[in-house]
Amino acid sequence: ALPLMNLPSVEGDAIKVYVRVRPPSEGTVLTDGDQSLCLSVLSSNTIRLHSKPEPKIFTFDYVANMETTQESVFSSVAKNIVESCMNGYNGTIFAYFESASFVQHNMRRPSDSDNFTHSLRGVIPRSFEYLFFLIEREKEKAGSGKSFLCKCSFIEIYNEQIFDLLDSASAGLFLREHIKKGVFVDGAVEQVLSSAAEAYQVLTMGWRNRRVASTSMNRESSRSHAVFTITVESMEKNNEIVNIRSSLLNLVDLAGSERQKDTHTEGLSCLGQVITALVDVGNGKQRHICYRDSKLTFLLRDSLGGNAKTCIIANVHPGSRCFGETLSTLNFAQRAKLIKNKAVVNEDMQGNV
Amino acid sequence: MAAAGGGWAAVCEKFRTARTLSAVESRKDPETEPYRSKYSARALLQEVKQLLSAAEEGGEARLLAVRRAVLEYELGVNHTDTEELSAGEEHLQRCTQLLEPHRLSPDCVSLYIQAQNNLGILWSERDEIKTAQTYLESAEALYNQYMKEDGNPPLDPSEHFMSEEEKLTDQERSKRFEKAYTHTLYYLAQVYQHLEMIEKAAQYCHTTLKRQLEYCGYYPVEWALNAATLSQYYLSKQCFMESRHCLAAASVIFSQAGQVPSAEDNETEQDQQDLRQRKAEIARCWIKYCLNLLQSAQKLLEDNIGELDPDRQLELKAQRKKEEDEKEKGRKKAVLFGTSDICDSVLAMEEKVSSVYPLDFQEAREIFLVGQNYVQEAKEFFQVDGYVTDHIEIVQDHSALFKVLAFFEEDYERRCKMHKRRIDMLEPIYADLNPQYYLLISRQLQFELADTYYEMMDLKVAIGNRLEELDSHTIKKINSLAQLSIKYYELFLDSLRNPDKVFPEELEEDVLRPAMVAKFHIARLYGKLITSDSKKQLENMQTSLEYYTFLVDYCEKYPNAVCAVETELELSKEMVGLLPTRMERLRAKLCPFI
Repeated sequence: ALPLMNLPSVEGDAIKVYVRVRPPSEGTVLTDGDQSLCLSVLSSNTIRLHSKPEPKIFTFDYVANMETTQESVFSSVAKNIVESCMNGYNGTIFAYFESASFVQHNMRRPSDSDNFTHSLRGVIPRSFEYLFFLIEREKEKAGSGKSFLCKCSFIEIYNEQIFDLLDSASAGLFLREHIKKGVFVDGAVEQVLSSAAEAYQVLTMGWRNRRVASTSMNRESSRSHAVFTITVESMEKNNEIVNIRSSLLNLVDLAGSERQKDTHTEGLSCLGQVITALVDVGNGKQRHICYRDSKLTFLLRDSLGGNAKTCIIANVHPGSRCFGETLSTLNFAQRAKLIKNKAVVNEDMQGNV
Repeated sequence: MAAAGGGWAAVCEKFRTARTLSAVESRKDPETEPYRSKYSARALLQEVKQLLSAAEEGGEARLLAVRRAVLEYELGVNHTDTEELSAGEEHLQRCTQLLEPHRLSPDCVSLYIQAQNNLGILWSERDEIKTAQTYLESAEALYNQYMKEDGNPPLDPSEHFMSEEEKLTDQERSKRFEKAYTHTLYYLAQVYQHLEMIEKAAQYCHTTLKRQLEYCGYYPVEWALNAATLSQYYLSKQCFMESRHCLAAASVIFSQAGQVPSAEDNETEQDQQDLRQRKAEIARCWIKYCLNLLQSAQKLLEDNIGELDPDRQLELKAQRKKEEDEKEKGRKKAVLFGTSDICDSVLAMEEKVSSVYPLDFQEAREIFLVGQNYVQEAKEFFQVDGYVTDHIEIVQDHSALFKVLAFFEEDYERRCKMHKRRIDMLEPIYADLNPQYYLLISRQLQFELADTYYEMMDLKVAIGNRLEELDSHTIKKINSLAQLSIKYYELFLDSLRNPDKVFPEELEEDVLRPAMVAKFHIARLYGKLITSDSKKQLENMQTSLEYYTFLVDYCEKYPNAVCAVETELELSKEMVGLLPTRMERLRAKLCPFI
């Protein structure tokens, strides 16, 4: 029998949740026990939120304190997902709240945006580097027998509408499903990538097209998500048999909290949600629920309880001014932990002569 | 009164400005100052409060108290809106204290109810749902008491700061009062849902929908979708009459949405697309209705081997006759949607499909046909190209409709043809589906196809048993159905293998039962294969034994699995005991001299 220990699926398929306490912005000095902190890291997997009257304790797969480097965040969770992607799994990395640091970094160094070796760079650029590093290594190992094709798309979901960040002229796009290709954004531009630097360039360019950045409607920015998808296709020739593997790596920037404001003042608009909740208790009965998932969960259906490996990296700000946001981020991460994933390898044998 | 004349007009103006700031202007506040307008409104309200205090000396005490209560209410809402819950609570409490003695009078009752509503919201935001419940229930009780004792359209709170000529009409007053009460019921629905008082929550959702319809406070499409969703709740409770009523109302109200003439010109393609989708969603709720009604009837009628029990059928038919009169009475007590016109249309819609259990093939067929029509309607929008998951779910429902109809069919040949129809709709979809993206659906289809072939084989065996002797055609048919069933069960089991094609040591909870059933059915199928070749027969028995043994061994190793497959395990144990002896006998026959 094969040694099961080496298989990535053995570690369990539940979504890994990593919470990282962001270092305070430059110039401010915060010490533990400071009144202005709304949370404290208790251990490597628990965090305490100083809520009143009772503090709340949250448990995650990993909790990183303010001193943790971006590099260690990446190697603790995201690295594994990128590796699985090379083995034919689909993978998704949610980087909750990453945008702030990402944009900041960009703004600080606008002149050399293709130079992404800055130590503060986030999980997304690191994932590019690592992916292409693995591809190069694989190519060297296999010689001419193996080839790779990487394509990427970059979209933004804003106000439940989809925009193509690689084509600023595009109007709202639609999500569709294809019986062979799964869920896809109809009409989204796909760009071929040959290196991490190129991926980074596409990312930076697309970023500038973000709806939220270009409008003054900042208030709505919390509802804008960006999804960078890389399709990795490998082809290996062994005599007459061609072995094709393809997988998706989704890098998702959930740019803000999902706090819902003014739900009650508007009256009855969410009656549907209440009723849906009732129908949900239908224990195994045949029923149809009319309200679809949000665009984001529909697009990433595979990654959420589907056929993929998923991790969530939630960044929380320790300042007490961010209490509300921190609480909703932690709650979101907590819910995410309950989702279980089933991963299956994507392998297709062709040309069996 | 000091604030009389021009002074009072200025106070009213300030109050009005505060309300506009709070409701309209605040929407445009920048992200950096999200509460700017709310704070300005608050300042104005404080000023008004000051002016009122100054006027207190000469004024009439009751009038002043009520006006102060209005201000406390507005300040309370303002503070809760700006996330200052304790300040908000204080103001709202002061409001209700001021109103306490007058709460049943027409100038106070609406304000009192709205203050209670807001206290309910406030406490639910603090996650103290029980406390929220007491406020909301007391608002509900007050409404009922007022309607019983007085019932005249009461003053709207804003009228306390209006001049005589601005005051509202009775019609407008009534509309606003009823709206406030509808909100009470809606919040109660949420509270009950949180407290897991599901039945009560559903009842309040139902009443909220009914009131929205009566007081015209609804968007037809949204309303229809909500009603259709509620019908699905009733399905889970097997309340078919209520479920059908919701669906009929949903269809009627939805058809109104398409008739709004002004909308037509401005409608974008997207809007029309949305409309078509909603229509298809409602159709899908109808499909589930038909399916549940048929399946529930099947449960009532089947005997211990899953066949239609004729005694039970007669019994239920007699029982139904008796119950018909009582049903009529129950009908009248149910909460009906709409007034006159709408209600008539809804009742007409209801007549198109029964809400009582079908007891024979004819009755079942009528429900089946309604369901099938909705399948066609739903498929028109949810086409496979673009809506893979939805489309397949609808096809699965279609297949399930055929499956349950087959239960009512007495003729085995015709029954078999119904199952063949299921195969014909499922097989091509399965063949096209990419399991990389649709793993779970793919598994469901594998399992259902296997099951259908299994059922067809059983029917062919039953047909064959009636014959004097099995003809070669029937044998071929039985064997090929069994092989196909095995093929799909094996595909299902293969989908559980890991990347290196190894079957999992321990099965995940969600696939445990299907995997075990697949193993068990394969074991039985190998036992059913007909062959005149004894060696082949021995091989089949050997394979069968291996599958039975898997079940027994697995349950020994993982005792948790036992409860999932109790019957199957028992039979497997029996077979593991019997088969070796039978095989021994067969071997002896094959080579009698060894």
